[in-house]
Amino acid sequence: MEELRYIEFESYLKNELTEMEKTAFEEKLQSDADFKQEFEIYKALETSLSSKFKNEEGEKELRKTLTNLGNQFIKEEKVIKKKSKIISLFNYKKLMVAASIALLIGFFIFKNGNPVYSDFANHTNLEFTVRGDNNQTITKAATAFNTKNYKTAFAQLTVLEAEFPNDIELQLYKGICLLEMDKFTQAETIFDKISTGNSAFSTKATWYKALSYLKQEQFEACKNTLKTIPESAEEYKLAIKLLRKL
Amino acid sequence: MNKKPHADHIYIEALLKNDSRVLSKLYEKFSHKIVSYVRNNNGNADDAQDIIQETLVIIYHQAKEKNFILTCPFDAYFYLLCKRRWLNELKKRGTNRVTILEDEASIKDEHEQQVEETELFEQQNQLFESKFKELGAKCQELLKATFKIKSMEEVAEFLGVTYGYARKKKSQCMGKLTQLVKNSNEFQQLKDF
Repeated sequence: MEELRYIEFESYLKNELTEMEKTAFEEKLQSDADFKQEFEIYKALETSLSSKFKNEEGEKELRKTLTNLGNQFIKEEKVIKKKSKIISLFNYKKLMVAASIALLIGFFIFKNGNPVYSDFANHTNLEFTVRGDNNQTITKAATAFNTKNYKTAFAQLTVLEAEFPNDIELQLYKGICLLEMDKFTQAETIFDKISTGNSAFSTKATWYKALSYLKQEQFEACKNTLKTIPESAEEYKLAIKLLRKL
Repeated sequence: MNKKPHADHIYIEALLKNDSRVLSKLYEKFSHKIVSYVRNNNGNADDAQDIIQETLVIIYHQAKEKNFILTCPFDAYFYLLCKRRWLNELKKRGTNRVTILEDEASIKDEHEQQVEETELFEQQNQLFESKFKELGAKCQELLKATFKIKSMEEVAEFLGVTYGYARKKKSQCMGKLTQLVKNSNEFQQLKDF
């Protein structure tokens, strides 16, 4: 008896019943609560297990990515906390707090002056661990950038670019190097390209475009650029601070 | 139901596509808060990393199977899920007398609903999985094959049995599994049925 029931479930789900059998089956679903409950379980099991086994490979791949990212963003935080006071990408919030304190102090000291580029140019450290392998160029580029050796960093990043032509973060850091070297036109070309794209770095690029104007003391242009930073962006708070001073 | 995805639905899509670029944004933006929470409540960074990963894997499966649409900000939804998972983990470890630091953020109904949806999905999944493991080795093998290989003919060939036998066996095994689920204690607590 029982066994026949499950064969019937199977045929119904596979849509193999004749019209008459199908009607009878659906009537039974209406009238027999136990039959209906078992069918619901059978159906849920079918979808759940089939999805689970089909996505086994996908899950494995995803786990690899997540483990890498976890190691990068969480474990690294642990190491950094112990070792030094480097501000990593991860401690962005702290950086913002530090930046606002710096700003506050700046506000009292230079109450009447215009804001200065260097007050706002706190670049997050360059860390390319996400790309995995122990690439020498990556290390060189990061070290150079993090020690403010922008000329070397720029050269190394250009080498890297050949290897990762679609890496937007890399482009952004190239832009920052150019900005630090006062090569405004080239820097802005890069920032413009990133900010009009839809990568995760688009507002950051807008922020840097504004900084570029700031460094050139083009305050109006700087203001207008800052105003395009949406409220939801990480850079919003910084943008508001800077806007207030302009 | 016509659900409008929240802008943060990009994170769900990133999970589906295994898009490491967007996922790294996710870690950058949201993991810190969870690490602090776990750390402040009898855990360490490794615990937090596991909690985050397991939560994301569940969301991935929910999105694959149920076309889960995120309709609220990811931040609140994800944080609450991780928090509750960590509290469960503490319970499992038998850590008594934990001082749970409650935080000020009040959770809106809509968030709560989505969180519960995901949690229910996980409970059901766990139940199904544990009952599946109670099946005999033959049944497990056959079912695995039927779900991985689409056509029953190929399954039969793969297992070296006739098509008719494979089919009959499949409903039998599924029937057994249905019974196991139906008669379990956990099932009584799942309100979905």
